[in-house]
Amino acid sequence: MKTAAINDRNSGIASLRSLVSPRAWKGVLGLLGILALWQTSIPLIGVSEYFYPSPAAVARAAIHLVKTGILPAYIGDSLGRYLAGVSIGVTLGILFGLLIGFSAGASRMLSPIINFFFAIVEVAWIPLFVLWWGYGLKVILVALSYIVFFPVLYNTILGVRSVPQVLINAAYSLGATRLQLIQEVILPAALPSIFTGLRLGAGFAFRGLIFSEMIAAKSGVGYLIFEGASNQQTDRTIVGMIVMGLLWLFIERIYIRPLEALTVDRWGLATRAEDRE
Amino acid sequence: MSAKTKISVVDLRMEYVDENRGIRHIATDGLTLDVKENEFLCVVGPSGCGKSTLLSAIAGFLKPRGGTVSMDGRPILEPGADRGVVFQEYALLPWKTVLENVGLGLKLRGVAKAERDAVAMRFLDITNLTHAAEKYPHELSGGMKQRAAVARTLANKPEVMLMDEPFAAVDAQTRLTLQEELVRIWDENRLTVLFITHSVEEAVFLGDRIIVLTPGPGKVRAVVDVPIPRDQRHWATINANPQFVAIRDRTLALVRGLEAA
Repeated sequence: MKTAAINDRNSGIASLRSLVSPRAWKGVLGLLGILALWQTSIPLIGVSEYFYPSPAAVARAAIHLVKTGILPAYIGDSLGRYLAGVSIGVTLGILFGLLIGFSAGASRMLSPIINFFFAIVEVAWIPLFVLWWGYGLKVILVALSYIVFFPVLYNTILGVRSVPQVLINAAYSLGATRLQLIQEVILPAALPSIFTGLRLGAGFAFRGLIFSEMIAAKSGVGYLIFEGASNQQTDRTIVGMIVMGLLWLFIERIYIRPLEALTVDRWGLATRAEDRE
Repeated sequence: MSAKTKISVVDLRMEYVDENRGIRHIATDGLTLDVKENEFLCVVGPSGCGKSTLLSAIAGFLKPRGGTVSMDGRPILEPGADRGVVFQEYALLPWKTVLENVGLGLKLRGVAKAERDAVAMRFLDITNLTHAAEKYPHELSGGMKQRAAVARTLANKPEVMLMDEPFAAVDAQTRLTLQEELVRIWDENRLTVLFITHSVEEAVFLGDRIIVLTPGPGKVRAVVDVPIPRDQRHWATINANPQFVAIRDRTLALVRGLEAA
């Protein structure tokens, strides 16, 4: 009987193992350890639920939020704002990056202005944005695209300027127009750099999203965190914090890594260096 | 050789500025030469004689500080598909397959994919590269990369092919093979070739004529005719050809400045 039970448990673990990759398995163990520590520390610390909610209370709050449809709606709102804001910022960053990297005239004209605005962090703008447009989507979108714009811009410029001259000459000698040069040579050559910018910007923008939702939104994960704390529902705040972490893991897995694998990994940075030898 | 002049370089002065030291260098000064239609012209000279700068001026990459460069009587102002260039660094686009690289010139002209793939395959066949059509440049050896670059240039049907020390970066064995292949390919696809090299042997093996430049600033020191028939140009036998040996030795002496023109 005893061995049967052990076998049973082993097969349970085995099926769990096949679900989680072997490397992630240790991460899961660590997470379970933290949860156990958290739960056992509740009676030891002995403060009220409001100050220090238990994992069980957080789980109940999460289930309630899912059942009422609040959490799915908030996640949808946050994800939508995030993707829209990042898309706008990336598009503008690439466009201005190409312009400044490619044209000395545009560089001389725009660089000082852009460097000046780079120094004014997005947080400094938010009060003014709120004054102009009130609380809502517009403030969040502008803030997010502002955050993403700079790292994408600077890395695009870097990428454009480090395209080997011989590749540019080769394209012109095959009959390329300026537009074709950008399309066939400059953009693909700068892509690894642009992705570096996108990765940086995407991380910053995610923090910016939560922050701006705390200030300027009536829904979303940031709003959940902020409202939970102000309404003495700290279990909801912690649900929001956990969702925030999970959401970032999701965004990284679903959007950022596949994009990198599609382009950069296929022909790789190494092949660029080699071609310059 | 009484063929008509294809490219005319008159009194060319080229300068470049050393950005680090702020010094202005004169690459060529008072350089005058003609490239005849459908000839294979080699330019040799010691390093720093401005031979690559000359090619850049004809390709349209660099603007002359003085003198004129013209093709068919029209001044050359910018790069163009009528002058294909083969670079020492191959300059293949790493994110395109060999087939896509070779078809690039046709793509830029708006030729449909099926047609440009067919043309590209034909030139890959000529350069013995059909097996590598779907590979990316980083998967190729140096010799294969340069074959692909030659195929890319020829597939675009230029009037002139400018070659800037194209075989300098490949190993010695491969270089001999590539030189023999180039003799064969040029026989089958006659066009005007300007071939820059620092190797006198290479120049005598490949060229109809050789222009020897002086050390920088480069001027023409001598023009050497190479009347060796094309069918005798094989490395296995050419070193036993007294004409080849004589022209090679004379050209070498000219490059080293030991013999007056």
